[in-house]
Amino acid sequence: MNKKLFSFLAVFMIASIVLTACGGGKTEVPATATAVPTSVPTEVATTAPVENQAVVTATSYAAVSCDYGGEFKSIEALDDNTVKFTLCYPDPAFLSKVAFAVFAIQDKDYLDANGGDSAKMSEAPNGTGPYTVKEWVHGDHITFEANASYWGGVPANQTLIFRWSAEAAQRLLELQAGTVDGIFAPSSEDYATIQADPNLSLVPYQTGNVFYIGMNNTKPPFDNELVRKAVSMAIDKQRIVDTFYPPGSYAAEQFIPDDWSPGFSTLGDGAKWYEFNIAAAKDLLTQAGFPDGFDVTLGYRDVVRVYLPHVNEVAQDIQAQLAEIGIRVTLDKVESGPYNQSVAAGEQDLFLYGWGMDYPDSTNFYDYHFASNAVRFGAEYPDLVAAIKAAALLSDPVERQKHYDEANALIKLHMPVVPVAHGATANAFLASVGNVKIGPLNENFEEMTTTSGQLVWMQSGEPISLWCGDESDGETLRACLQVYESLLAYEYGGTGIIPGLAESWESNADGTEWTFNLRQGVTFHNGATFDASDVIASFAAMWDVQNANHKGNSGAFEYLTGFFGQFLNAPPPAP
Amino acid sequence: MTIITPADSLKQTAPRTPFQDALRRLRRHRSAQVGFVILGFLVFVAIFAPVLAPYDPIKVLTDVTVRSKPCIHFFGCPADQPQHYFGIDGNKRDLLSRIIYGSRLSLQIGVATVTFAILLGTILGATAGFLGGWLDNIIMRIMDVLLAFPSLILSIAIVAVLGSGLINALLAIAFVAIPVYARIVRASVLQVKEQDFVTAARALGSSQLGILMTHVMPNALTPLIVQATLGIASAILDAAALSFLGLGAPPPTPEWGLMLGAERNSLFNAPHLVFLPGLAIILTVLSFNLIGDGLRDALDPRLSNVQK
Repeated sequence: MNKKLFSFLAVFMIASIVLTACGGGKTEVPATATAVPTSVPTEVATTAPVENQAVVTATSYAAVSCDYGGEFKSIEALDDNTVKFTLCYPDPAFLSKVAFAVFAIQDKDYLDANGGDSAKMSEAPNGTGPYTVKEWVHGDHITFEANASYWGGVPANQTLIFRWSAEAAQRLLELQAGTVDGIFAPSSEDYATIQADPNLSLVPYQTGNVFYIGMNNTKPPFDNELVRKAVSMAIDKQRIVDTFYPPGSYAAEQFIPDDWSPGFSTLGDGAKWYEFNIAAAKDLLTQAGFPDGFDVTLGYRDVVRVYLPHVNEVAQDIQAQLAEIGIRVTLDKVESGPYNQSVAAGEQDLFLYGWGMDYPDSTNFYDYHFASNAVRFGAEYPDLVAAIKAAALLSDPVERQKHYDEANALIKLHMPVVPVAHGATANAFLASVGNVKIGPLNENFEEMTTTSGQLVWMQSGEPISLWCGDESDGETLRACLQVYESLLAYEYGGTGIIPGLAESWESNADGTEWTFNLRQGVTFHNGATFDASDVIASFAAMWDVQNANHKGNSGAFEYLTGFFGQFLNAPPPAP
Repeated sequence: MTIITPADSLKQTAPRTPFQDALRRLRRHRSAQVGFVILGFLVFVAIFAPVLAPYDPIKVLTDVTVRSKPCIHFFGCPADQPQHYFGIDGNKRDLLSRIIYGSRLSLQIGVATVTFAILLGTILGATAGFLGGWLDNIIMRIMDVLLAFPSLILSIAIVAVLGSGLINALLAIAFVAIPVYARIVRASVLQVKEQDFVTAARALGSSQLGILMTHVMPNALTPLIVQATLGIASAILDAAALSFLGLGAPPPTPEWGLMLGAERNSLFNAPHLVFLPGLAIILTVLSFNLIGDGLRDALDPRLSNVQK
């Protein structure tokens, strides 16, 4: 009797364990299933064999033709120290794009040895930059050590340490205690405390950014333009900026910040957004067939950004504002990574999102959001795409501005987004840290002086990997900037473009051919010499889906397609 | 045959019934007194929240600055400014109103979850204890498995499966509390069912269910009452913790834990926003704990002669 009982119990326990294990497995399946199509188009190969569109020689990497839809035609080494990029269409922002941290140069042999795997390459990052990685204690800190053979001169501090905390209060507490030398974005309520403390200094700076409410035009009821317009008119931007943003921020009239030229419209329909008007917004909702409003989920992520310094509060304020016109909002706070993916996949109906510039050209705002085949806002608006693409082909600022005036008016007409605010921000440092230069694009950690020769920086999150080819997160790019360099760089404290691994450059008249003269005598941290083959290998790994090194982190290589249109050998879009 | 009615027994100057005895001890119990005063106050506040709260708890005010300190005219706040006894929160809402409305939610959470847990726990525990055998084994081993998890981790896991939200958080907390009640009821039932009066009832031919309901359960109730009172306190705490983590009540619900979580970064520049909701949680939990203590002492027959 007892034996029977126990065997029954044992079977029961085992069954329940198996059931739980199976349940866990089920949740993992979709993740791998979605990852497959982006990396290897195996199914396509079996049905209709696609010819390899890459033409590779010892000194060049080229596309068979420009029909594949991207910007690069070929990248070739004229000699060991000269690289020529041939483009399929002119790109006035090409230099700005090439200077971006994602397009940093890797050692070809190192890249080959690791197969372009971001995780493997993060274990012993091998760049040419001012710092080498001494250790990365995951979940705690990264220690960088000065690169003694850096071509730009030995950094001012022997040791640079990156730490992170998502809580602004904790960052400030650590700074006040002196355990860190500098912190990212203290809460704006604490500005007064920092300014009153003689041991601390506040370093305010402007960045090109926008905080917006996105609406997906394939998801009802946002497929109705009247509903989008009602939301556009129901948001009191000034109240949001006054209540939640630090000094220097301002309410957005356009998608692009006020000081961007060409880009910002001073005249025309697109110069001013719709007036805030609750009664008119209610009327629009009634016309659209929602006299009593509707229920909707508002997605947002729990990450502090310059464009959104108080995530939860702003989300709740927008919830309260939309309640005024009868739209009943349920807030849905999602973790950053999954949220980015769901926005990029066009799964969010109504969502809070923003953009901080990567490179100082208007194409970074317009093209990336509205003309890059993205599904964030549902289907793209063809007239808007045309206006933006037309502007991107020109180099004359006056002519470009005409197209951008049109684009701004069209954004206001179609309302894929409600631009809400352009945020200002500040970092804080110990007063003893000297020579601090913070700009919209970078921080001059290598030049800052400390008494101890060690600089500890605390940012808001841990880097995801230490090869940034397939990354887009600001905390990650900041760490990569210490280790790697691109052909060009942005000056500290500004947006000017300065030589990086390329000493000089020239282009033909219409901006389709760019030749870079590489710096000589530069070595990677592992001792390898830098030459033209490294440049080709680094770009090819990101550009060509069939390249052996096209692995990265998730395989999305978001910035390559965002900046340069399309991958070579891109898998056909899923049906 | 004479039947002694309750009325007859009252005529004599009879000794107090055990219930009266317990009530008397409870009334004299010092910490229970304190607990009842606090709880009475909270219940009063919760019932009359719409009357007591000066503002709508989710209304964004326009004439105030965000996270401003309490403004009380009596203590020198300029008379031309509107009074906000507890200050303004991070979304320009009146904190006092939010805390007042929060008391409703917290008391409801505590009572609802514990009721749910007691119902299921009692059924499971009584079945296990009274019927015994393999059923007892299975039920109690499942309860052991549930008890093996730290309660907060288990409720987080449950919420993760069900999705966040107040109702799901309540279910999670209630579910996690079930084993405690099941164990208590089973232990009492095991103890009581061997007693002579139960055997007598059985000999008289009472049905199993009848014996359970009329003879066993009333005698197993005492520890359950004590545990329930203490359980309310921990349920309120757990709910606050889940809301703090963003897994419980969705914003803008005036829930104390949620209020704490939302303002945790303002600890230094606006301490009242963290301190006051925290204090409200402390008071509520304290009152239930004190009452629970008092009940335990009062209902313990071994202490019947101890004068407190």
